[in-house]
Amino acid sequence: MDKINLRAVYAKYGNAKYFSHLDLMRTMQRAIKRSGIPIWYTEGFNPHIYLNFPVALPLGTESYVEPMDFSVVEECDLDELRDKLDNAMPPGLNIISVKPQIMKNTDVVSAEYDVTLSSENLSAEDVIEGFRSFLSADTIEIHKRSKKKGEVIVDIKPHVIVTDISSEDGLAFMHFKLPAGNSFNLNVNTVLDAFTDKTGISVNTVCIKRTKITAINGEDFV
Amino acid sequence: MLKDKIEKVLLKVQRPSRYIGGELGSVVKDKSKVNVRFAFCFPDSYDVGMSHLGMKILYGLKNLREDFWCERVFAPWEDYEQVMRENDIPLYGLESLDPIAEFDFIGFTLQYELSYTNVLNMLDLAGLPVYAKDRGEETPIVVGGGPCVCNPEPLADFFDLFILGEGEEVNLELMDLYAKMKKEGASKSDFLHEAAKIEGIYVPSFYDVSYNPDGTVQSITPNCSEAKPKITKRIIRDMDKVFYPDSFVVPFTEIVHDRAVVEVLRGCIRGCRFCQAGFIYRPFREKSSDTVCRQTKALCEATGYEEVSLSSLSTSDFSEIEKLLGDLSEYTDKEKISLSLPSLRVDNFSEELMEKIRKIRKTGLTFAPEAGTQRLRDVINKNVSDEEIMNTCRMAFEGGASSVKLYFMLGLPTETDEDIIGIGELTDRIIDLYRTVNVGKRSPKLSISVSCATFVPKPFTPFEFEPQASIPEITRKQKLLLDSTNRKIVNVSWHNYRISILEAALARGDRRLSAVIYAAWKSGCKFDSWDECYKYENWVAAFEKCGIDPTFYDNRTRSFDELMPWDHLDYMITKEFLIRENKRAHEGLTTPNCRQKCSACGVIQRIGGGCVGQD
Repeated sequence: MDKINLRAVYAKYGNAKYFSHLDLMRTMQRAIKRSGIPIWYTEGFNPHIYLNFPVALPLGTESYVEPMDFSVVEECDLDELRDKLDNAMPPGLNIISVKPQIMKNTDVVSAEYDVTLSSENLSAEDVIEGFRSFLSADTIEIHKRSKKKGEVIVDIKPHVIVTDISSEDGLAFMHFKLPAGNSFNLNVNTVLDAFTDKTGISVNTVCIKRTKITAINGEDFV
Repeated sequence: MLKDKIEKVLLKVQRPSRYIGGELGSVVKDKSKVNVRFAFCFPDSYDVGMSHLGMKILYGLKNLREDFWCERVFAPWEDYEQVMRENDIPLYGLESLDPIAEFDFIGFTLQYELSYTNVLNMLDLAGLPVYAKDRGEETPIVVGGGPCVCNPEPLADFFDLFILGEGEEVNLELMDLYAKMKKEGASKSDFLHEAAKIEGIYVPSFYDVSYNPDGTVQSITPNCSEAKPKITKRIIRDMDKVFYPDSFVVPFTEIVHDRAVVEVLRGCIRGCRFCQAGFIYRPFREKSSDTVCRQTKALCEATGYEEVSLSSLSTSDFSEIEKLLGDLSEYTDKEKISLSLPSLRVDNFSEELMEKIRKIRKTGLTFAPEAGTQRLRDVINKNVSDEEIMNTCRMAFEGGASSVKLYFMLGLPTETDEDIIGIGELTDRIIDLYRTVNVGKRSPKLSISVSCATFVPKPFTPFEFEPQASIPEITRKQKLLLDSTNRKIVNVSWHNYRISILEAALARGDRRLSAVIYAAWKSGCKFDSWDECYKYENWVAAFEKCGIDPTFYDNRTRSFDELMPWDHLDYMITKEFLIRENKRAHEGLTTPNCRQKCSACGVIQRIGGGCVGQD
């Protein structure tokens, strides 16, 4: 029979946020193997478990909304499948849901982040003030390395949307919306590095959490 | 809490998941419910250390005990070490993230001499004095095990005790004794005196060493009643009954050997005269094929690894190899797990075995002829003939292989220029063979890689008396090798000989080298086995500072009656056997393998029969 394409939503948090996207592939393949689900293998010289991640999660970022595509070779109860997979996950990874793939994996256009910052020598209010002035510049030019063109200068200003900015208990909070997916991806750490670069304000990243992944039609990516 | 401190800095370093634990299979216990805490330290990076089988075995074994807790500790890479020192983060165990200075034991596995400076650095990072004499009552017992313990003398000043031989039984005996004496409130010194009574435990401070005017060792004398004149290594009798882990800690990040590993046998029947492992791990003992199959399945199911490797010094010497590969490939094929067989010897490749391996390994062939001519291979007792190498290459080429990797050593005892030119001639014959096999076919370009190590004489081998080639000799031989090979097809590479000469000094060194290791570490030496980290000049300076000439250890022929620094350690093989084998080497005579004929190495008398070929 034909393979059935599915999309899991997984969470990555705690100690698991310290390994990279490349490590995630290996870790997931092993977890799937342990789970014993009827996973589909590539048909070739060297059969392996095929996984596709529509969007990469940067090292150090937590998330509870990450999509992962895979296929199975027999009809399965999706809740049962979710439970089997979830039980095989290492600490810091969870499978939240397993559903059919509705959108194309290339439909992802943006992602949203909750960012919590602290500073050794400035108050949270000062950090926020600095951030507002950073955002009010006409352009925010950064050096970006590209495979084809080498190092290029990109103005990220039009791409950085900050919808919420506040402070509490000496910490600064911000909510970002940034481009994500295959065509143009902007890492939240790149924005924070640019902030430190332009303003000279050095901050500690207390927590970065991805909260939402949005598709081309403006809806949640499913 | 150390965890908060660590997390604050972790994203500043390369591959941070190496420093935070939490992997699948790592064992976390309630520290208030354990009696003895053991920090199992591998003195190299996480990537290297996590690949080490011995640690996986002892970690699983100790953690089976409810009252013991064993944690993993590795040497932080230089970026993280700097961050740790700047932020007052002491070296910690990956399971609890507690400082290892609070543990009962700190145990190092000593796998290669070039990790010695990392031992000192890790003790220092733990916040402990590196010299044993400077560590007080309240500090952990620092112990060492592993192959280098067959001559631990250069490290004698830094350790409280060494564990000789295989660790599965003696580690538990030692920890049980500790638990009992801890309850009684015994002192560290009381504990060491009791521990010295356990077979296989060597307490270096209980021995005095004196030297002759010519610098050789004059005597090694026990200085207390518990210290035995000779300390005998421990061995495990029954490989089917000994503990083997049914799960591994599965790292998040890629490590050097990232796969399930099942040990199939210990010891080696071959007796290659340069090979320390071939002598110190005697006698030869096997698991049954059924045990190996059962352990493979358990491990693959628990870890989810897609590759499993059958590990030993010489896996093709496994008696039931054909049955094992048959049974195993049934399981691995079904589960789409790939099976790898390192340490295969060329001389016993049967056509059937080759067929099975071909299914397993798609490309690439690796041989270790070690020497370029039959004469020299006879000297080192590497019983591989030109014909066997050619036959195996032919089978592989006919099966479509187009790359061959060959390992050699330069500077072997009795080596002449013909032997080196012989390496080039051997590769020429392989090139001709490839052309003959593939005549009229569109075949890929052949690639041969020749990798050369510099011979390092090791204790407990028939070559423990032999000199290492001097630096000018080594460089001359390397040039000669380059001139004798077809460089269009053959890619020649070698290990840095400046590292090999240090390895040689440390391997056969005595207690006076502790000062040199200390001086080298103080001057910034660490990760000496890593080419990019090795600081040759600092080592030269450290030897000079201590007034010690490394050539005394490296380049001197030792007489048969010289007292070696390790002669109070008993690895069950006799000195008479080593001398006999050395003489045979110089006469160019080979010695049959243990299955063909017992060569009376001495082990059989010690274990009372049951050795291979003797049943």
